[in-house]
Amino acid sequence: MFEITRDDDGRVHLHGRFDAAQIASAKEVLSLVDDSCVVDFAGLSYISSAGLGLLFATQKRLTDQGRALTLTHLNPHIREVFRIAGFDNIFEIDE
Amino acid sequence: MRRGFRREIDALDEVFRFLEGFVAEAAIDDRAAFTINLVVEELFTNMVRHNTGGEASIEIGIERVGDCLQLELTDSGVERFDPASVPVPPVDAGIDQRRPGGLGLYLVQTMVDDVKYEYEYETQRMRVSVTKRLES
Repeated sequence: MFEITRDDDGRVHLHGRFDAAQIASAKEVLSLVDDSCVVDFAGLSYISSAGLGLLFATQKRLTDQGRALTLTHLNPHIREVFRIAGFDNIFEIDE
Repeated sequence: MRRGFRREIDALDEVFRFLEGFVAEAAIDDRAAFTINLVVEELFTNMVRHNTGGEASIEIGIERVGDCLQLELTDSGVERFDPASVPVPPVDAGIDQRRPGGLGLYLVQTMVDDVKYEYEYETQRMRVSVTKRLES
């Protein structure tokens, strides 16, 4: 089960498991992000390279326009995957 | 435990349920369980996407042997795949020097203790064997 929503403040919330089968629904929401915003991982238990790739593509598009995603509430396992992927250089991650 | 799965990305839910059953039965901790899910997803989705001529199902086997997990994914009727042909992503680079993608196999190789690729030309069978040592 995966869910991606956006609240009234523009913050993106991820829930469940962000695997390769969820890319289409995540793309629908992330493609509409056109300003700096926070992506809240509080409800997310899992992510694979498919989700990382989509977040990276979104970040790249935004940084080209002088904007950026900030990531928050990553669980320790997801945090480790971001570190291995070298995404500490790509995203601002709230610890 | 061993089972065949449809060669479709949508089969991932079934794959994860299968792994959940193993994790519960073998008393695997959360960290290792996360790694198993990620490794199997990356290898399975690679097979689905790149081994397009393969048979209808991809077999996944998993067992605990002492303090190690042994994983095996087998795909038949496919072309030989050389993992050395996949470039290592520039993980120390900044966003301007990086492109999306190419992380799956890198994550697998970094998060486990051993990955071995075998290919049988007679049967066109590819087997990926993974060993992950469990923390005590």
